[in-house]
Amino acid sequence: MTMIAQSVAATELLEALLDAGVQDVVAVPDTHQRTLIASIEADPSMRFIQATTEDEGTAICAGLIVGGRRPILQIQHAGLYACVNNLRGLGIDGAFPIVLMVGLLSRDRAKAPQADFGSMVRLAEPLLDALEIPHHLIDGPADVGQIGAAYREAEQRGGPVALLIGAETV
Amino acid sequence: MPNTNPDPERRMTRDAALDVLARRRTNEVVVPAMTALGPWVRRSGSDRNLLNLGFMGGASTYALGVALARLDVGVWVIDGDGSLLMQLGSLATIAHAAPSNFLHIVMHNGVYETSGAQAIPSEGRISFAGLAREAGYAQVARFHDVEAFDAQLDEILAQDGPTLVELITAPTESFYKPGPPPSERPTPAVARNWPTVRDALRDD
Repeated sequence: MTMIAQSVAATELLEALLDAGVQDVVAVPDTHQRTLIASIEADPSMRFIQATTEDEGTAICAGLIVGGRRPILQIQHAGLYACVNNLRGLGIDGAFPIVLMVGLLSRDRAKAPQADFGSMVRLAEPLLDALEIPHHLIDGPADVGQIGAAYREAEQRGGPVALLIGAETV
Repeated sequence: MPNTNPDPERRMTRDAALDVLARRRTNEVVVPAMTALGPWVRRSGSDRNLLNLGFMGGASTYALGVALARLDVGVWVIDGDGSLLMQLGSLATIAHAAPSNFLHIVMHNGVYETSGAQAIPSEGRISFAGLAREAGYAQVARFHDVEAFDAQLDEILAQDGPTLVELITAPTESFYKPGPPPSERPTPAVARNWPTVRDALRDD
């Protein structure tokens, strides 16, 4: 069967983030989730914290958690590769329950990510597996409930959980 | 181009700088990076010391997260020059977030101390205070003399941040030597440490 990943509306994702108790969105600009970033920036109930690198974003999330906040790290798949050391040092060794939303930019919607021709998409899940970070694919509006579940999982396991955004948000 | 920083014998020592900071510390969360960690904890033991190990320049943004979570609590990061260079963009991130409770100390000894004292790039020309000022920090200062630092620190702390203070320090011999491998998998120090700091802040 051919799978066709569907876009999720930024408003739906924002609502799910608010329902999950997310207070801060730490982000590096991401083409794939740009409509969500715009919605977050426009919503006064959510704080938007911009970082210049995903390594910084990981550390900011950890610090926010120390201070009692509930953040999410919103990045693009290229940024996942860029922040491996802090995911290891803070996520794995530090046991910080950081939830990441990772945009799979340019993913072929008709294929599973690991079958994608592009290495950036194809290797994202294997990389997370190597880092022992659980991951879940948000491949349409029916998967939005994964956001709240990811926080429960991250806190239960004491470590990061990644949500892969399969199609560009609208 | 010659090194324009004072000769090492005319610079303050790291330990003297830490003494000055420890005397001022009250209830601040302090994030000491790399070789400052042990000497700082020995001087200023607290359940608000947030340990930073192996994040390759992540101390400043780890501290930034705490500062943004708790704008009512002072947050100090004791950073290294080589560490900050690894994530120099953090200066713009901090300046943009602009937490008034944020003090960024940079120990500028000019070398990567733990890896064998190799010089940092552009040593003698680079100014971290200058970089922070141009990035948009609210306040910056630069000292090589510990008495001058001690004399001005109260005034600096009275101003809103983010503030960066660059301290030109003499290198120490803090070459990293790994210990023997553990007999069983330990809980890493960072994982043991941060819940203590979280709980201390929660009890405020």
